Amino acid sequence: MLSRIAESLYWMTRHLERADNTARVLDINVVHMLESDEGVTEEAQWRPLLTIVGADEGFEDIYPDGRVTVQRVIHLLTQDPNNPGCIHTSLRLARENARAARDRISNAMWETLNEFWLAADRSLRVKLPPWQAAELYAFVHREVATFQGLTQSTMMRGQEHGFAVLGSLHERADMTARILDVRYHLLLPDLSLVGSPLDYYQWGALLKSLSGFDAYRRRYQNGIRPIDVVEFVMLNPDFPRSLIYCVNGLERALARIGYRPNGETEGAMQALREQLRDIQAGEIIERGLHEYLDDLLERLADFGAALQTDYFDAYLGDAS
Amino acid sequence: MLKQFQSGGGGQLLDRSEGPVMAFHEFYRDDFRPREHYLPMWEHIQRAGQQSLASKARDAQLALHNEGVTFTLYADEEAGVERVWPFDILPRIITAHEWAQIEAGLKQRIRALNLFLKDIYHGQRILKDGVVPPELIYRGKDLCREIMDIDPPHDIYIHISGVDLIRDEEGRYLVLEDNLRTPSGVSYMIENRIIERRILPEFFSSYRVRRVEHYPDLLLQALRYLSPRGPADAVVVVLTPGVFNSAYFEHSFLAREMGVELAEGRDLVCRNDKVYLKTTLGLRQVDVVYRRVDDEYLDPLVFRADSVLGVAGLINAWRAGNVALVNAPGTGIADDKAVYAYVPEIIRYYLGETPILPSVPTYQMTDHQDRAYVLDNMERMVIKSVAESGGYGMLMGPASTPAQRADFAQRINADPRNYIAQPVIQISRHICYLDGELESRHLDFRPFCIHGSEIDVVPGGLTRVAMTKGSLVVNSSQGGGSKDTWVLAD
Repeated sequence: MLSRIAESLYWMTRHLERADNTARVLDINVVHMLESDEGVTEEAQWRPLLTIVGADEGFEDIYPDGRVTVQRVIHLLTQDPNNPGCIHTSLRLARENARAARDRISNAMWETLNEFWLAADRSLRVKLPPWQAAELYAFVHREVATFQGLTQSTMMRGQEHGFAVLGSLHERADMTARILDVRYHLLLPDLSLVGSPLDYYQWGALLKSLSGFDAYRRRYQNGIRPIDVVEFVMLNPDFPRSLIYCVNGLERALARIGYRPNGETEGAMQALREQLRDIQAGEIIERGLHEYLDDLLERLADFGAALQTDYFDAYLGDAS
Repeated sequence: MLKQFQSGGGGQLLDRSEGPVMAFHEFYRDDFRPREHYLPMWEHIQRAGQQSLASKARDAQLALHNEGVTFTLYADEEAGVERVWPFDILPRIITAHEWAQIEAGLKQRIRALNLFLKDIYHGQRILKDGVVPPELIYRGKDLCREIMDIDPPHDIYIHISGVDLIRDEEGRYLVLEDNLRTPSGVSYMIENRIIERRILPEFFSSYRVRRVEHYPDLLLQALRYLSPRGPADAVVVVLTPGVFNSAYFEHSFLAREMGVELAEGRDLVCRNDKVYLKTTLGLRQVDVVYRRVDDEYLDPLVFRADSVLGVAGLINAWRAGNVALVNAPGTGIADDKAVYAYVPEIIRYYLGETPILPSVPTYQMTDHQDRAYVLDNMERMVIKSVAESGGYGMLMGPASTPAQRADFAQRINADPRNYIAQPVIQISRHICYLDGELESRHLDFRPFCIHGSEIDVVPGGLTRVAMTKGSLVVNSSQGGGSKDTWVLAD
C-alpha cells in the first residue's frame, strides 16, 4: 500500500487514542477533585497531568507566572490551540488523516469519525465551562469507543488494519508508561505497607485513568498495593492497557504487515520485547521504576522512528 | 470554411436564435405526442402519478447526498464548495439506430485525431500539405514542443475522450467539443444509472437498456494493454491533483472501481527514467499512469517548475518508454477550439472518409472577414476562449449585456487566436420532472471513448441538463444537472 496512506492510518488512530487518553486522565482528575484530600494543593493535584502529556514547558510559555490551576490545565489539555496535543487538535488531526485514507477505511468508520469531529468542533470552538468538561470527556470516550468497535467489526484485516492498530497501541503504551511513571514518582510508596486511605484514592485514580480499577480489584484481593499495581499495569497480558498487552499487539500487527528486509523495525520491536521479558514487578521497583520506564519510553520512541524510516518515508535506495 | 454553412443549413441556424420554441424536442413530436420510443415511458409516468414521482425524486436526491456524489465549485465567493450532483429522474433515451451513427462517428473522429497528433508531433505532413494552417498550430497554447518526436506506446495519444454532442434544430447530432485532455463525467454516468435502477426499476421493464457499468473494467484493460512491461503484471495508478480538485470524487471512484492505487504527485518518484510508487514495502515500479493532472502541472522539470502536483522526471521516463501516460501529453492542441473547425478536413485527410458527425460552424477570429462579421453580430453568437472548458471564459451572446460584449470585443481584438465564435444553436430539449411539473429543458450528451487495443464507446454517456428555464448552458459549474441516458439494444 501507499506509504502516505499507511502513515495517515497510523496517525488517525494514534491521534484518536491520544484524545481518548487525555480525556480520561482529565476526567478522573475532575471527579477526584470533588472531594479534597488533606495537604494536597491544587498545584499538586493538577501539575502531574501536565507532566503526563508532556505539556510542562508549554504551560510555562503560556502562563509565565507558572501558577497551576484547574481551569488552566483543563483549558490547555482540552482545547488550547497552543498545545498541539490537546483534545481538540488531536481530533482534528485524526479526522484529517481519516479523510486522506478515506477509501481504505469502511464507510461506517468514516461517517462516525466525521460526525464526531463536527460535533466536537462545534462545542470546542468556544471556551468550555469547567462544569461541562466531564460531559465532553464522556462524549469523547463514547465516540472513540464506537469508532474502535467499527474498526474491529468493519475493517478488512490487511496491512491497513495493521497500521491502524500500530498507531493506537503505540500511543496507548506511551501513555500507560507516562501515567505510571509520573504517578508513581509522586506517590513514592513504601513497599512494606498496604496503602493508607490516601494511597487508596491516589492509586485508585491511577488505575481508573487506565480504565483498570474494577479489573484490578477482581484480580487482586489484598487491597491496592503499589507492587501489584505495577505488575498489573505493566505485566498483565490480559489487561488491554498494560504495556505487555500493547507490545504483544504491536508484534502481531507487524507480523501481518511484514517486516522490511534489513529494516530497522524488527530490531526496535525486539528491543521493546527484551525490556519486558522474564521480569517481575519487585525486580523492576528494586532497579528503579523511573529509570526502567524512561528506558522503555526511549525504546518506544525508537520504535516510532523505525516505522517512519521503514514504512512512511519511502526508501529510495530500492530503485535500480 | 464558414461559407458553406451560411449558404446551406447553417444560415438558417443563425436565424433561429430567437426563442426556445424552435429547438428540437427529444420527447415530443411536433403534434405533442411522445415520440415512439418514449411511449412506454410516457405510460409509466402516467401510471406512477404525481405523488409517486415526487417521492422518487426526493429519494434520488437523498441517495446522492448520502453517498457523497459531489463535485466542487470554483466560484469566487464559494471557493471549494462541495455540491451534490443535481439529478433529474426521467431518463433520456437514444435509439439503437441513432447510437449506431454516434458510435461510428466517434470512432472515426478519435482515429483521425489520433493520427493528427502523431503527425503534428512527428513529420507535420498535414501542415506541409496546407490542409491546416501552420500558424494555427504554432500559435496554439497547447502545442507541446517538449514532446516532439517521442513515440508513445502503440502510437496512441488519445486513450480517453469525452466528446460533447448536441442536437440541432433538425435533430441532427453535432459535435460541439472534443474533450481530449482529462475529461470528467464518467463516474456520474455510472452513478446516475445505479440511482435510476434503484428509483425507477419499473421504467426499465418495457425497454432493453444497454449496460454501462463495465466502463472501469474496459478502462483497466486498456490501461494494462499500454504497459511497457506487458499487461500481465502491469502496475496501474490514477494520478490525482488531490482532494481539493473538482473531480476528486471521480478520481477516487475510478481508482476504487479498478482496484488500483489513487496516487498524488508526492506518492510517485522517478529514478533512472523509471517511475515508482512509494509503498510500505519499498518502491514499486509503475507501468501506467492514468493522470488526471493537466499537462502543465505534470512534470516540474519540463513544464511549470512551480508545480507540486506532478512528478519530477515523469516525461523523461515516458520518453524512455518505461511508463505509459494516459492521455499522452500534448493532446490539447487537437481539442483547441480553433483547430476544432478543421476536424472534418482532418478526417478526410487521414482517413479518406466523409465525416459521419458534423461540427458546429465556427468563425476564426484570426480571419478578418469572420471577425468583422462576429463583432457586428455578437448578440447572436457564442464566443469561446479556445483553451478553456467547463463553461468558463465564454460569452453567451443572447444573454449578454452590452458591457460584457464590449469586454469580449476588446479581448478578441487583443488576442484573436485565443477566441472563436459559433452561431447560437438551440440545442435539443427534453422533459424533466421539476418541482412537481413536467418541464422542458435543454441538454447535451457526452459519451465516453476508450482507445486501447481498439476503440470502445460505452453505450451510454452523461446527459447534462440546463436546469434553468431557457438556458443553453449545461455545465455543472454553471448550475447544470444530469439525467440517466439509455441506449436501447434494438
